[in-house]
Amino acid sequence: MIENISRRGFVKAAGTVGAAAMLAACGGKSDNAGSGDAASTEETAAKKVLYFGQNNPKEGLDMQKSTNSGESAIADSVVESPLRWTEDNVLVTTFLSEIPTFEADGLTLPCEIKEGVMFHDGTPLTSADVKYSFERMFTPATAAKSTYMYDVLAGAAEMLAGEKDNLDDGITIEDDRHFTFHLATPMVTFVNNLGISYAHIFPKDACEKAGDQWGLGANFIGTGKYKIQSNDDTTEVVMVKNADYYDGEPALDELHYVFYDDPSTKMNAFIAGEIDWCDLDASLLEEYSNNPDTADKVVLYDTLGVMFIALNNASENLKDAKVRQALSMAIDRESILTNIMGGAGKVASGWLCPMTPGWDESAPDLPYDVAGAKKLLEEAGVTNLSLKCETRSSGSYVDIMTAVQGMWKEIGVTLDVQGVDAGIWSEDRTAGNIEVDCLGWFPLYADADNHMYTYFANTSSDTKSVFYHNDEANELLNSARAELDAAKRADLYKQADDIIIRRDMACIPLYWPKRSFVAQPYVVNAKCGNLIYHMIDVDVDPTHPDYPTDR
Amino acid sequence: MRDFLIKRTLEALAVIFAIAAITFFVLNIVPGDPVRVMLGEMADEATVQQVRHSMGLDKPVIEQFGTWLMNMLHGDFGTSYTQRKPVMDLLLNSLQYTARLAGWAYLFALVLGLVIGVLAAVHHNTWIDRTLMAISVAGISAPAFWVAVILQIIFALNLKWFPLAGVKKPMAFFLPTIALGVRYAASIARVTRTSMLEVLNQDYMRTAEAKGLARWTVILGHGFRNALIPIITIAGTQLGDIFTGSILIETIFNIPGIGSMLVTAINQRDLPLIEGGVMYIAVICVVVYLLVDILYAVVDPRIRLGGEASE
Repeated sequence: MIENISRRGFVKAAGTVGAAAMLAACGGKSDNAGSGDAASTEETAAKKVLYFGQNNPKEGLDMQKSTNSGESAIADSVVESPLRWTEDNVLVTTFLSEIPTFEADGLTLPCEIKEGVMFHDGTPLTSADVKYSFERMFTPATAAKSTYMYDVLAGAAEMLAGEKDNLDDGITIEDDRHFTFHLATPMVTFVNNLGISYAHIFPKDACEKAGDQWGLGANFIGTGKYKIQSNDDTTEVVMVKNADYYDGEPALDELHYVFYDDPSTKMNAFIAGEIDWCDLDASLLEEYSNNPDTADKVVLYDTLGVMFIALNNASENLKDAKVRQALSMAIDRESILTNIMGGAGKVASGWLCPMTPGWDESAPDLPYDVAGAKKLLEEAGVTNLSLKCETRSSGSYVDIMTAVQGMWKEIGVTLDVQGVDAGIWSEDRTAGNIEVDCLGWFPLYADADNHMYTYFANTSSDTKSVFYHNDEANELLNSARAELDAAKRADLYKQADDIIIRRDMACIPLYWPKRSFVAQPYVVNAKCGNLIYHMIDVDVDPTHPDYPTDR
Repeated sequence: MRDFLIKRTLEALAVIFAIAAITFFVLNIVPGDPVRVMLGEMADEATVQQVRHSMGLDKPVIEQFGTWLMNMLHGDFGTSYTQRKPVMDLLLNSLQYTARLAGWAYLFALVLGLVIGVLAAVHHNTWIDRTLMAISVAGISAPAFWVAVILQIIFALNLKWFPLAGVKKPMAFFLPTIALGVRYAASIARVTRTSMLEVLNQDYMRTAEAKGLARWTVILGHGFRNALIPIITIAGTQLGDIFTGSILIETIFNIPGIGSMLVTAINQRDLPLIEGGVMYIAVICVVVYLLVDILYAVVDPRIRLGGEASE
């Protein structure tokens, strides 16, 4: 049959098929989302609508499976944890009647759910949903990322090890509105951890029905202020207000999260009026701070994090604290902050930043003293020191370490800097193969536990390639975990910071970073507490002259 | 013709298989544990091992390859590690945007390139020729990302005639189509001009004119048709390029196509998605080159293939 195809016939057939394919490819849907008639334009003008621009991490909204702040920002509008941290770093209740407090044993934590709390599908939130959500988290098949923040619950470790399939010991249910957490060991910050996204409470039936697709598309409901109207997981998530919200009607009628891969395109979209608010990448801060269209809309805010150089304390090169001190003293932090980060931060005087309880106000800045650094190396008997740095090629890490490379050269230390992708970095770091690294750590609320325990406690330091083992510091960190008195806890962390950083220099803090965003003047309460852009308390002023009515 | 089609099709299948094997094994050799990337640095080793087992990543690589290949032959490219959706669904979702962008850009490049090329050749050595060729040189020289940014600044930010980015608004594909297509249009224009100039000086063109045929009938009916071979060569290879090389334009115009999907997949060590994306590119390229080869034979009767070539 093929033999009988004539050349002319083939051309005609190919032309027809080609034309059809081209039409199919180019035509597609008209997607006239923005071409409403006059009536719908008026309707939009009357509505309170907010467009927020951010990148798309493509990890889904299930925060048991993601730790991304972008996903968290979206998910927190839909699903609630028992408590929540405000943008001003205050812990407040969501669906719990009050912030729970531990009984005298420091292990038992009774909780009460407010009356009338409903999921978006109209089913009531009950104690069983709370228990289900935590059991799901500890079920190995879920592959939850942040179990370490809650695994002090009795029975959690056994669940993670596959030895149990329930949390009957860790959460007991009194009735639909009353339940109690039971910890295996004291951990004061467990209550704090109930205020972050990883403690989201899901409706058991809907979550089980969605299975592995929970958090993808519109398969995501909660008790939050906004309900997902559409989510293509690719370009935009559209939400509408949850008019039945138990704590009063939400401020916005519609909330759009629009995804941008390129930070410059996102900023152009902001200038073009396609979005009202977005984060501002550090690499663009200087440009848009000097741009007359955006200068008065740039907001710089403090984070709770620290940018630092991680040192492998087990490395033969870095075992001596004098060497680590010398490396710290050779770094001109102010220069790095000014020349690489555009001044977005504050030179660090320790590990804990000023907003974290335990920050030592009286601590002097970490010294920059090249001669002193050389002297310390001499005292340590170290010459021709050669170190290897492996850091992620994303962000400013390589730029910072390249600057440090030059500074350490001044004291005779050779640093080989290698930028690698996240996959290689993650594997090498977990294996403890990284000697020197540059990174930032941003705890989700103002408490030192997550901040310091993770990197410097004997049981967890090795997983960060830091390998810091100091029994004195370890004792302080563990005591602080169980200390109920806030002032005493802060003092314990202050002591720990002094030992770990100012005495041992286990890692080298560089600066406490600031981050930035741009927001139009009609966005009310545009704030960011710590990397996560929450819309929970945000409103827009449609009477403002700049408020777009034709979008 | 049949033998040629069978031979070239088998060659194309062999190439696709080779690319599949190389892609799979290289991705499995490259350092960077996808499970560790997926679970994050705080996951304990037991969980990591458990997930690795559930994903079949603890099996011998050759066994994994066999399973992947068999599944792929049944249209199953696996499930994305991070997005938890079938790779085929993600590919098709991205393809709808890439195809729309590339399709429009190709059509734009083809029409504009051919028109400019023919006009320049017909008006050889006149101001029209010089102007059109100057424009085409500028089109070839200007990087696509630069054209994209300039178009955005002029037509979206200042004049506000078109949307700046995205895929949902009407005319959203207008600026990216031009940004992507202008370079290809310029190349086609230059090749068309050169090819047409060679043909226009041939005796049969003068004969056709002497027979009293209308000028444009001669140019298009006799000249253009005979100038097609080099044009098909460049236009064919460009079809493959344009469908697989729009990553920058997709990023700048915020189009969630294959390019941006692949970049994210690579950063996240999402192996099934990377493999699926690479196979998409491989299949497009192989099919396009196959079609170009077939078109040679169809358009030019002098080209004989295989055993027929000696006749």
